[in-house]
Amino acid sequence: MINTLKVERAILNLTQEELAQKIGVSRQTINSIETNRYVPSTLLALKLSELFNKPVNEFFKLEEND
Amino acid sequence: MNKQKFCDAEERRLHWLVNFKLPNTWKKIGWGLLFLSFALLILTKFFEGDYLVIRSVLKKITLLGLLIVVISKEKIEDELVENLRGKAFSFAFIIGVVYVLVQPLINYVVFLQLKPEKANFEDLGDFQILWFLLVVYLMTFWFLKKRNA
Repeated sequence: MINTLKVERAILNLTQEELAQKIGVSRQTINSIETNRYVPSTLLALKLSELFNKPVNEFFKLEEND
Repeated sequence: MNKQKFCDAEERRLHWLVNFKLPNTWKKIGWGLLFLSFALLILTKFFEGDYLVIRSVLKKITLLGLLIVVISKEKIEDELVENLRGKAFSFAFIIGVVYVLVQPLINYVVFLQLKPEKANFEDLGDFQILWFLLVVYLMTFWFLKKRNA
């Protein structure tokens, strides 16, 4: 799965730390999601969706081998 | 209490039990217990005397300290940390079983080469197994956390 979390974060002009605080996780979690090392839960994805005001599948996309 | 309420209460209890963790402040207490008991355990090696009971108690306190460290929350305990805990636990469990199966064999072979008169096939003690499991868990958890930092 690929994501454009970094882009969405840049649009809102937020640092990893600020985004992490807004959705109640650690900066490491945001970093791991952005670098595709961790796939977040549905709950976290929905929190991000609410924050970015966009549907989840606009910033999380399945790859061919998923 | 009707059936639904009873089931809900059971579910909540199970959830609490499975996800139980101590607050982050307990981590320091765990480390303190661990270092103190481990240091005393080493000290008993240097003094002559019958320390069988004391050593047994110290070993249990060492394990208790390690357990407290293992089940204490991180400063921010989020879903990534939960995920890493799960991975570290399963890795430690598998390595632990392999260790229990292989280590007595290695001991036997080494003794057979160096001191054949002392070579006997002995199983590991509970302290050695639990210590190994908890240490492997902690090391794996730290490694995974560092990798995700």
